[in-house]
Amino acid sequence: MVKFENVNKTYGEDIVGLKDINLHIKPKEFVSIVGQSGAGKSTMVKLLIAEEQATEGKVIIGGWDITHLRKSRKPILRRQIGVVFQDFKLLPQKTVFENVAFAAEVCGEKRKRIKEIVPKVLEIVGLEDKLDRYPKQLSGGERQRVVIARSLIHRPKLLIADEPTGNLDSLNTKEIIDLLLRINNFGTTVILVTHNKDVVNSLRKRVIVLSEGKISSDKERGRYVI
Amino acid sequence: MFFRIIKFAFQNFYRNFWLAIVTVTMLVVALFSVSTLITLNVVLDQAVKSVEDKIDVSIYFKKDIEEAKILAAKVELSNLPEVEKVTLINQEEASLLFKEYHKEDEVILSSVDSLDENPFSNLLIVKAYNMEDYSGILKMLDKKEYSSLIEKKDFDDHKAVISKITLIKDRIKKIGYIIIAIFSFIAALIVFNTVRITIYTHRNEITIMRLVGATNWFIRAPFLFEEVFYALASCLILISIFYPLLSFLEPHFNYFLEYDFDLISYFKNNFFYIFGAQFLAVAFINSISSFIAMKKYLKA
Ligand SMILES: Nc1ncnc2c1ncn2[C@@H]1O[C@H](COP(=O)(O)OP(=O)(O)OP(=O)(O)O)[C@@H](O)[C@H]1O
Ligand SMILES: [Mg+2]
Repeated sequence: MVKFENVNKTYGEDIVGLKDINLHIKPKEFVSIVGQSGAGKSTMVKLLIAEEQATEGKVIIGGWDITHLRKSRKPILRRQIGVVFQDFKLLPQKTVFENVAFAAEVCGEKRKRIKEIVPKVLEIVGLEDKLDRYPKQLSGGERQRVVIARSLIHRPKLLIADEPTGNLDSLNTKEIIDLLLRINNFGTTVILVTHNKDVVNSLRKRVIVLSEGKISSDKERGRYVI
Repeated sequence: MFFRIIKFAFQNFYRNFWLAIVTVTMLVVALFSVSTLITLNVVLDQAVKSVEDKIDVSIYFKKDIEEAKILAAKVELSNLPEVEKVTLINQEEASLLFKEYHKEDEVILSSVDSLDENPFSNLLIVKAYNMEDYSGILKMLDKKEYSSLIEKKDFDDHKAVISKITLIKDRIKKIGYIIIAIFSFIAALIVFNTVRITIYTHRNEITIMRLVGATNWFIRAPFLFEEVFYALASCLILISIFYPLLSFLEPHFNYFLEYDFDLISYFKNNFFYIFGAQFLAVAFINSISSFIAMKKYLKA
């Protein structure tokens, strides 16, 4: 599903983002990426959604070399990847339904299809009864679930979540992680970037540890130890 | 898809109603200053023209010259490309005109009548299209074949006035254009910044659109549409302010010009030049601004 081949990424002249990354994530896998602040986790995510370009090496998604993706092709890539960011917010002046529908509207989805699919993805995240609420009428966990619902609108094969539980308490965190596991069970590959030790340790899934831009450990059923 | 773009544009508009008001107000103010300057330029131009219109050359012929020679001179002068009109006033007409002009004044009338001979000369009044051309015409009249026929030319009296007016006119034109250019530039800067604020308030929306896979042109289109809409709205508002103001001011201008210049119909006749050009300019500046302002948010 996802391949990094000898990837190097430097910002400007000498800031190392990633170094000698070789990685293969198989379809339907659930992978956690951990590491200290500045280790290069978000850089990895940015390469995957073609927001940044690798300085060297290749990034391949589903057999598609996206290393030097042309601008006009980026939307096509992004419609196949769901992204959840810490600071990838909801629009405060739109309702839950409208926020999710917005993602489909701007990609030219037909109205009829939007009416069908939005309630469906909101049902997956358990917010089918809060369609008409505004973001400020939701809890932090609920808001993040709307963001996840929005990322599912194109039925992505790959879901990337960068610190999705960043500012949530442990109960809400557990809900979000359970949701990601459920999405993974439907057959979506999930890449979870996190700082949260407890989350990683309770998952018992593959863990990739980054430090100073390099992969320092990559284990099935890994644990997060520093 | 097109419908959706329009919908987003109008959502932007009424969700940011106050910003929209500010934007349109800014545009109207900018357009208004430029239009005012254009008007002033037109009025001043007209003022200069009204003075120019009063200027002509009168050529007084010696009394013993036969009329045929004068007519020949008239034809020759009329054929000059820079000459607009040549009018012949012969002795009798000159006398009549004089009497008509002084018909209240018995003393003058009787003294003219008491003369044996008509005291007036045959006279050609030459009117050129442009003030600058008079010197050429005069030079021609100085040539031998004419100078022997001519008693006097009254143009020398005008010379100083003309050169002064020409100077003022050129200066006003130049200054007018410079001021219009400066104002347009300032207006463009204001517009650019207002557009940047508009885009800035939508930065989250733009990021979301980008990351969920909207194409760049789809992200841009509603903003471009919104900006063109602002341009249109501000032009309409400008026109609705401008015409009443013009019709209010017109009598005052005309008084100042001593001249019946129909400012309103000038604007009507040049409607598309003046307001169409301003609309296009604003729409263009707005679109370019939003294009540039968005670049930052669309780069990746
Ligand atoms: N746009 C950028 N320009 C310059 N340097 C950058 C840029 N983005 C990231 N970096 C640098 O690259 C390195 C890796 O950053 P990255 O954001 O990938 O870290 P991270 O692992 O996501 O950290 P965190 O856990 O704090 O989010 C850091 O040293 C960072 O300063
Ligand atoms: Mg990060």
